[in-house]
Formats: sequence, C-alpha cells, structure tokens
Amino acid sequence: MGYEKRIFICDTDGGNIKPFEDALNANLRAEGLVEKVQIVRLADAGIYRKGVMVKVTPENIVYIDVKMDDIKKIVDSTVKMGQAAPDIAQKPPEKQLKIVLRNCGNVDPERIEDYVALDGYKALSKVLESMNPDQVIDEMKKSGLRGRGGGGYPTGLKWSFARKVQDDQKFIICNGDEGDPGAYMDRSVLEGDPHSVLEGMTIGGYAIGASKGFLYIRAEYPLAVARVEKAIEQARASGFLGKNIFGSGFDFDLEVRLGAGAFVCGEETALIASVEGKRGCPRPRPPFPAVKGLWNKPTIINNVETLANIPYIFLNGAENFAKIGTESSRGTKVFAVTGKVKHSGLVEVPMGTTLREIVFDIGGGILDDKKIKAVQTGGPSGGVIPENFLDTPVDYDNLGKLGSIMGSGGMIVMDEGDCVVDISKFYLGFCVDESCGKCAPCRIGGKQMLTILEKISQGKGELSDLDNLRKISFAMKKASLCGLGQTASNPVLSTLRYFELDYKQHVVDKRCFQGKCKDLFVFTIIQDKCKKCSLCQRNCPVDAISGSREEGFLIDQKKCTRCGRCFEACKFDAISR
Amino acid sequence: MGKANINGFAVEFQDGMTILDAARKVQIDIPTLCKHPDVLASGACGICIVKMKGNNRMLRACCTPIEEGMDIITHDPEIVETRRTVLELILSNHPNDCLQCGRNNNCELQTMASNFGIREIPFPKVVPDIPKDTSTDAIVLDPSKCIKCGRCVEMCQHVQDVWALSFLDRGIDTRISPAGDILLGDSPCVRCGQCSAHCPTGAIFEQDDTAKVWKVLQDPDKYCVVQIAPAVRVAVGEGFGLPPGTNLTGKLYTLLRRLGFKAVFDTNFSADVTIMEEGSEFVQRFVHKKGPLPLITTCCPSWVDYMEKFDPDMIEHFSSAKSPQEMLGALSKTYYAQKNDLDPAKIVNISVMPCTAKKYELKRSKSMYSSGYQDTDIVITTRELIRMIKQAGIEFTNLPEEQPDHIMGDYTGAGTIFGATGGVMEAALRTAYHLVTQKELGRVEFENVRGLKGVKETSVFIEGTEIKIAVAHGLGNVEYVINKIRQGKKEGKMPYHFVEVMACPGGCIGGGGQPYGITDAVRTQRTQGLYSDDEKSTLRCSHHNPYVKKLYDEFLGHPLSHKAHELLHTRYVPRPEYKK
Amino acid sequence: MQKLDEIKNKFQQTQKGSWIKVGMSTCGIAAGADVVMAALKDEARKNNVSVRIEQCGCAGMCFAEPLVEVFVEGVPQVTYGAVKEDTARAIIQKHVMGKEILNDYIYKMQ
Repeated sequence: MGYEKRIFICDTDGGNIKPFEDALNANLRAEGLVEKVQIVRLADAGIYRKGVMVKVTPENIVYIDVKMDDIKKIVDSTVKMGQAAPDIAQKPPEKQLKIVLRNCGNVDPERIEDYVALDGYKALSKVLESMNPDQVIDEMKKSGLRGRGGGGYPTGLKWSFARKVQDDQKFIICNGDEGDPGAYMDRSVLEGDPHSVLEGMTIGGYAIGASKGFLYIRAEYPLAVARVEKAIEQARASGFLGKNIFGSGFDFDLEVRLGAGAFVCGEETALIASVEGKRGCPRPRPPFPAVKGLWNKPTIINNVETLANIPYIFLNGAENFAKIGTESSRGTKVFAVTGKVKHSGLVEVPMGTTLREIVFDIGGGILDDKKIKAVQTGGPSGGVIPENFLDTPVDYDNLGKLGSIMGSGGMIVMDEGDCVVDISKFYLGFCVDESCGKCAPCRIGGKQMLTILEKISQGKGELSDLDNLRKISFAMKKASLCGLGQTASNPVLSTLRYFELDYKQHVVDKRCFQGKCKDLFVFTIIQDKCKKCSLCQRNCPVDAISGSREEGFLIDQKKCTRCGRCFEACKFDAISR
Repeated sequence: MGKANINGFAVEFQDGMTILDAARKVQIDIPTLCKHPDVLASGACGICIVKMKGNNRMLRACCTPIEEGMDIITHDPEIVETRRTVLELILSNHPNDCLQCGRNNNCELQTMASNFGIREIPFPKVVPDIPKDTSTDAIVLDPSKCIKCGRCVEMCQHVQDVWALSFLDRGIDTRISPAGDILLGDSPCVRCGQCSAHCPTGAIFEQDDTAKVWKVLQDPDKYCVVQIAPAVRVAVGEGFGLPPGTNLTGKLYTLLRRLGFKAVFDTNFSADVTIMEEGSEFVQRFVHKKGPLPLITTCCPSWVDYMEKFDPDMIEHFSSAKSPQEMLGALSKTYYAQKNDLDPAKIVNISVMPCTAKKYELKRSKSMYSSGYQDTDIVITTRELIRMIKQAGIEFTNLPEEQPDHIMGDYTGAGTIFGATGGVMEAALRTAYHLVTQKELGRVEFENVRGLKGVKETSVFIEGTEIKIAVAHGLGNVEYVINKIRQGKKEGKMPYHFVEVMACPGGCIGGGGQPYGITDAVRTQRTQGLYSDDEKSTLRCSHHNPYVKKLYDEFLGHPLSHKAHELLHTRYVPRPEYKK
Repeated sequence: MQKLDEIKNKFQQTQKGSWIKVGMSTCGIAAGADVVMAALKDEARKNNVSVRIEQCGCAGMCFAEPLVEVFVEGVPQVTYGAVKEDTARAIIQKHVMGKEILNDYIYKMQ
C-alpha cells in the first residue's frame, strides 16, 4: 500500500485498453515498480479520437496517441525520472473555458461561504466601493458582452437605456424561463451557482438605478427555485442584499416569481405581462421595457447566463473578458449538446470554437459512430447546419449567416437516420403549441405550416406545398409580433435550404429513407441476406413477423407498426426500409 | 413635432403619432384589421406592416411611433404580398359564410378580401367549431368568426372596465369568451354591446329580433306601437349613405307608419317625463333633504346593471325613475290604452334603440311589468331597423316627413339631447331651475356638461346656491366618480349633488346598437345633430311640453305621485358579478 | 471587502482534510445521485471514516451522472462517473480508506 505514482490510461477511440495495460504492467514489473505505481483505467478521458492516452501523476504529464512502443519510454522517462518523454505527443490544450460554469460542480450551491471562498461577491464589493453607475455601464460596454438569451443584444447598451430614463422606480429581471427543447444551461447555473446570478443582478441593479429585482423562473425547475430562494436568504443575511449593501448606501432586494411554463413568456414583454399577473402575451415594442417595462417602470431583463458572466467581468476586467472569443462575439458560450452525440452535456467554449470541435472533440462524436447529418442550434427558433458547415466558427453572426441562430445555446446533433421532415414537424409543432395566439401570422401561419408538413409526412404532399411553406414562412418572419413567430419557421426554412432533396423524396417519391415518417416506408426482409436467425421475430413487439428458422421469415405489413426494432436487431442488414 | 417621409411625401407629425396616423395625413391608407381609434394598438392582425428604408424588418404602422427623419414605404410588391399572405391565412381560419352572415356587406374582413382581390385561399381550412353563445337576450357571441383582433376585449376590459370578455386558451385554439369559459349570461357582462359595435366581423352581434317584429306587425290581433330613441334619429341615415348627425326624425315617423305601426311615439317625449320625475326627485333631495345626495341618473340600463353588480353601495343614490323607454312602455299600455279604449293585452310595444342593453332591460325586474303586462315588448337596435327598412323596400331617404302621434310623440329640446353625454344632466338642470325657483332660465345651454371628455365636473348656481355636478360616460370613467363619492361619504363632505352616467362613450349616440364605424369624429357629428335639433326646438325645457302637462293633468296627477311611482319608478338590488 | 475576507477565512478553517462532492443538480438526481449520496454517508459512518461529503452543482458532464469527485490527501483528485450504490461504497472503502483509485469509473482527472 501507498503508491508513489499513478498511471491513468484510456483508449480515447473507445477500443480495448487491456493489452496496453498488460504491456504496461509487464514493463513496471521488469523495473520492480509494480508495488509503487498504480495503473488506473479511466472510463472516459474527456478527450476523444486521440488514441491511447496516458497520464502520469504526480507529474501530471499527459500523452496522447501512445503506441505500444512508447510504453517503455514513458516508464523510463516519466515514471522513473519524472520527466516528459520526448517524441510522444502531449495532450492538446483544453477546448473548454469555464466562465459561466466556473463554479458549477465546485461549490455547494446551498452554502454562500463556498461562493465567497471563490471570490464571490468580491466583484459587487469592488463595484459598490469604487465605481459609479456610469463607470459600471462603460465597463460592461467595454466587455462586449451580448445577451445570451437569444437576441444577442449588447448588455451594456441595454443597461445604458434604462440608466438614462428618469423614474422613481426601476426593475431588473432575471429571465429564467428557459424553454428551448434540449437547452438547460440556465437551470444548471441556477441550481449549481445561484449566487453568481444574484451578484450579477445586484451589479446590474446598481448600474441602472433599480432597487428591486425579480427572478422569473419556470415552475418546472423546482430545485432551481428552492436553491435560488435559499441563496437570496443567505445573501440577505450576509448583507449582500437588502439595505445599504457593503455600507455603500445602495439598497437592492430580490424576489422569485414563478413562470407557468409558457414558452412565449421568455419573450420580454410577455414575461413582464406574466410577472404582472396578466395573460402571457407579447405587446408591440416600442416602447421597450428599458423605457416602459414592469408596471410601466424602466425594466432590464437579462438572461441567467448573461448575468452569471457579470461578476467574472468585474473581477477580471472587461478588457480581459473581451480578449476571449471573436470580434463580434466576446466571451464564452454554454451549449447544451444533446441528441445523437456520445457525450451529451453542458459545454462552455470561447466564441469562435467550431461546431466540429464541439461535437467531436468535446462531445466525443456521434452515437454508434454513425454519420453526422446536421447540428440544430438555437432551439425551435434556430435552424439546422449541415455537415459541410461544421468547421464554421460559432458566433452570433456566423450562425445567422447559415440560417440558424445562437439562441440560448441548445445544440441538437442529428445523424444520418434523422429525417428533416420529422425534425421540422417536431420544432414547428412545439411553436404551434406554444404560440400565444395573439397575432394572426404566428397563430394561423404556424398551424398551416404544420398541417402541410403533416401532409408531406403522410405522403400526401405536392410540390406546391414546398412553395406554400416558403410563402407562409416569409409572412410569419415579416409580420409576426414577437420573436417566437418571427423565427418559428427557421427549422423548416433551413432544412428546406439544405435538405430539399429529402423533402422531394417525401413529396415526389413518397419515401422516407430515414424511416421516421411511418406512412412512407415499409420494413421487408431481404431473403437473400437473411440467415434465418429469428432475432427479428423475437424482437417484434406486435407479432408481425411470421415464419420459422427452417422456412424463413415474413413481415405482415398490416400488423407492423414500423417501430424499427427488427431493423435495429438484424445483424446481417437483411431488413430493408 | 417632427418631419418624416412616407412614400416620398414629406409629412409633419405631432409627438405621439404612429406611422399609421402620419400616413393618413398624406392620404395614404394603410390597411389594418385590428387597430381601432377607440382602443390601444395591439398589433394583432399583422396587416399594417410597412418598411423603413435601410431596414430589412417590417414595422407595424399601427403601433410604431413615427420618428424624426424616418423614411417609410407603405406599399411595395413585397409588403403587399406579405399582407396578402396574412390575409389568406386569416381567411383560412374563418368560416367565410358571408352570404349568411349578419355582417354581409358591412364587414371589415370582407371588404379587405374584396380590396385585395382574393379569389382563392391556397391553404386548407382550419376553422374552429365553437358553438354560439346566446345566453343573453342582447348579444350573441360567435367565436368561430372571430379573427382575434382583440378590440372587444380591449373595449370590455379597459374602456368599459367590465372584464366580461377575455381571451382563453392559446395558439390556434385562442378564442374570446368570458373568463373561466362560462356563458356570457353568467358573466359580469352589462350588455352595453360596445364589443359588437367594434367587432370587425360577425363574431359579436346584437341578438336579432327583427323576425319577432315582422311577426307581430303581420298579426291582425296585435296593435303595434313604436317609439324611437333620441340617438337613433341622428345615426340611422348612416345606413343609407348619409353623414352621421343627419336628423331624420320626420322620415322615421313616416317610415314606421309605412312599416305597419299603428301608433308612432317618440322616446323624447318620455325623456321629458323622466325629467319631470327625476328633476322632482332631485329637488326633493336637494331642497327638502329627503334622501341622500348625490342623485345619480338611471336612464342607462348597462350602467344600472354595472352598479348593481360592482357598486351596490351606490343604490341609495340612484334615481328611482325608470328609463324613458320603460316609462313610455308603461304609459302606452295604461294611459294611451285607456284614452283610446284599447285592450292593453293586444298592444305590442316595440322600441328602436341605439342600445343592446335595452333588450336586457325589458325583463330586468318586476317593475318592468307595472302596466300589468310586460311594459315594453321588443327592442330592436338602429342596426336592426336599417335592415328592416331595406327588407321592406322603402326608399327611406326620399320619404316625406310626418308628425308623430301627438299624445306621446311631441318633445322638447331637453328630451332630444338625452342621447348625448351630459344631455340628461342639462335637461334636468333646465327643469330643476324652474322647480326650485319657479322661474324660467334666460339661457338654457349648459356647455360645461357637453363634449367627449371622460369625466366632466362643474358647478351651476341656482339663485346663488351651488350645485356640484359630474357627468361620466364610458364605464371605465365611472370608478373615479364613485370613489370620490365614497371618499366624500367617509369624510362627510359630498363632492357632488347630481351625477349623470352613460355606459357608452359619448352617451347613447355611441351606443352598442348603432351603425358600425364609430369614432370620436362620428360621435361628435351625431351629438351635433342632437344639439341642433334642440336649438331648432321652440320648446327646450321638459316642463314646457304641453303633452307632458296633459299627461299629468289627465292621468298621473303630479310628478312623484302615487300613480307615477307605480308606473314610472323602479327599485335596485345588489346582484352577483358571476351567476353560480 | 473586509467582510468577505472574514467569511472566507473562517470558512477555509473548516475546509481541511479529505472530501467528497456529489453532483446534486436535476441531472444528477435524476440519474440517482441522491441514492449515491446516502450510500456514501452510510458507508463512511459505518466505517467511521472522517471525510466531508458535500453536494455541488452540475459540472456539465451530464452523460456520466451521477458524478462523485474525491479528494484524499496523497491521492490525485478524480471524478467518478455513472456511480451506483455499490461503486459509492467501494469509493469509501478502497479510495478513501485504502487510497487505491477505482478502475473503470473515472471520467475526469484534476
């Protein structure tokens, strides 16, 4: 017992590491080091497609693409001498950079001391003790931070509008009504590091001259609500909220308001209506909330991720923050990478990182090593980006040029088995469900587009339907009252742009080659390829496959529900779609 | 003030103007289905979109303030095409049964479809199947025809402060309905009908009673008697292309006789009677301290219903005098029947009103049966009368002018101004002056109570004694007055002695049953029509009406007599806002 | 600023020695982090091990929840993923008590 060193090993290509481990063991045994060095197999190294990774501690030297021949070199140089072995590649620098998520997974969110120990509330104290509100806004402008909720509006500029308006009461609201399918970074921040949001809001409140703030959090996030409420209590008890914060004379307090789960309430004016207790419908702008917002008072609404950036900016300086990212988009962005990706989760990268890096280097590539088809960004307001654009650096402008948006940072990875008609139907269906119903283009246009897509997926589509989809999309984009309607057609438009062929296969050939639109494909057994193993029959949940191992098998199309389990189960590609 | 460009025309604008307002200054009509001058722009229909040079987005003209230097384009192929698509979408969500619709030929959606030359709708029909709500006698909701412009909801909630109508559900299922998805008849609805007067389509409609009227007119056993309200005469012409405010009293008398009415009376006559009763009541309270002040007028059935539901603590302030419609109904089946030896059971009293709530008033309490029968039997609105005239094939505007049946047809200028906000107050003051002083006014006009200001507060002096008065119209303006009264009661210092309330903005001339297209300009024109009628009258005070004198001499005795109380007065009870 | 330092210093006094952090955000709890938490505490108590077992938020690696991060004096700090109850108990017995890192469960190294 009592290892002096440890060697961590992992095949980042997902292969078997055992032979490598055995070889390493043999080398250690030869050197008489078996008792002193523990070999530890990792489940996952956090890097992918880089061959065998070897890390030696306490030196913390990490090698990649390690070959069998390298083992001896590593043992000789690093294990025995504590030095890096030449000629072996070392781990590339970390692609992720955690600013928003800097404390998530480190601090106990229910203990304010954890946050303070990591310089929490230091930014606030610095702001209150040494800066006037105009300086705060200047610093924000210098940082180049843009709203992370979807619109990408420069935060400092937004604040300056509310600052300019004279009124006896102003408000700042944290928009925690995260609703994009697949996006949950706001929830994670509220659950994992609530104080950073409270601190950001308090700084914002000071900058615009608000004495009161609301956190509008959807009721489906009970844990986030509980932790935020606890955080507010603790901040109040510590004097970081309430009267005369840090002896500066600045008063500020916060309250939580629950959203009832309407997606449209993420839109600023609908959110305000909801906080006021009214029907959550957007209203025309101008006047903008910064001039006339909550109860007609100047109001700033910032998204959770935006706010979590703010303490970092004031601790590290706006100039340093502005060095991160691209010219038009500063800082980092958190993405919720989900879908057909091996390692789904939250990823925070500097703006300008490419989609390929995110999906393959951080996310580990596509499930079952299938081919990637596209990446959907920006949730139901966004679009798809096909494989050939994966090397585009991600920032607000580039995504826009590709017909998608940054949105709140949802990133859903699609593989070759995903059908664009099906995907469009899903996203559009979401927006149709969530439309508030106030304005005609969104209310009826969305429904009509969905009706057309359903027609197409049932094989009843005509080519003129594609024109109608484009026609309605255009009207919705131009004439809808709020962002929901203006962008609801993006998934359809962008799939039409990049995958028109798929649509035409549905409309003209009446075929869904991805096997998603149930009326447009059948499963049949290719008798030549069938080895009569009966796996398909055993996997069929509705007894639609008749036959025996002697006679072979047949699929009864009347009974078949197109669930695809036989297709997945067949080991010989003997079932066609 | 500022300068901007619209389609290349320089336009000067005032602060607060929208692009839509400014465009109208240079004769450019930007189409819209939801914007109405009476309500705040909601931006619901998406038709009024325009472009600003150098900006790819389209702006809503109805709610975007015009700014210095803006360069606006209101019509180009892309804008028109987008409007057309939105209109096609709206039509795909509409039953399009125009031929059977009450708004046929008079529908904003139909007109727009016609203007755009819509010949086919390229999208499948998605029309909601929602049953009509016929739970009130006054207003029918047909949500399947609704285009969700939100005007009715705005009128009901913010102009009238009744909050009976709201939007329910969301997305494509969004519909108008009373909150909680109850029936309109069980909701706080006061039947003012402002929703129906502002609806651009046939989604909210007056309860059509014309068939009932045709039926009784053709029934030989019935003796049909008609009265026309003050506000009808200055609006009915709009149905025949005449400008608002055109006074058609004489032609209406002729018309009604030709339609088959046996007796043609005028509600202006019973308005004079109302002044005798209400004026006397005021003198009782003001001079003789019998009863609390202020006295509040009760001619408006929507206001009565509103007060019973929302402000029942005001009941003691309410004048017990019935509305002119109900007074005439009661007198027709008693006084008139006796004088002409008619069986009141055979008399059918029909009234032509600018108002949907009058339909509700017919049966609102036991006092509406004071003659021993239902005093007034059927109410039709101005809009319904216009339809009847057109069905009857009468060239209305070319008719000669006749006289009413004198016994209850002649009126003074005081009776006719009942139709405008402040009119009841002005008429009452003219007579109250006489009742208090036994003298006659030299000049009968009280300009301070006239006009479209929401609440008009002023004082008049009778022989040096100050009478503090308030006139409110539009139910949303009532709360201010009522709260002042409540505050005054608490402090023992009454802010007013006499208060007039009319539910509809502008008074009855802006009633919920009047021809479509109401705006403040129309209200002013109709009001002007009534005031000119007053000016032209030789008699301008109710107590000068010889037939009113005769009525008291021969039948009622004197104002507030026992008989007058039986026939011409009523009582009020608190009512729940929502029926269980 | 002074007040912050006071809180910080006082807190750091209490934060010495070995510790275990369990990711207890919605993603972690959904994957069974509460069971893991209970098992860790139970095993530590049974074996009379002195180790602070605390909760933290989501570290972003949602595919590998529940995540358990372990720091023991003299052993590299590692994060175990996809932890089940038996793994949790093994963490106490082998990693904390035996200072031997578990194979095949590590998803992240410091």
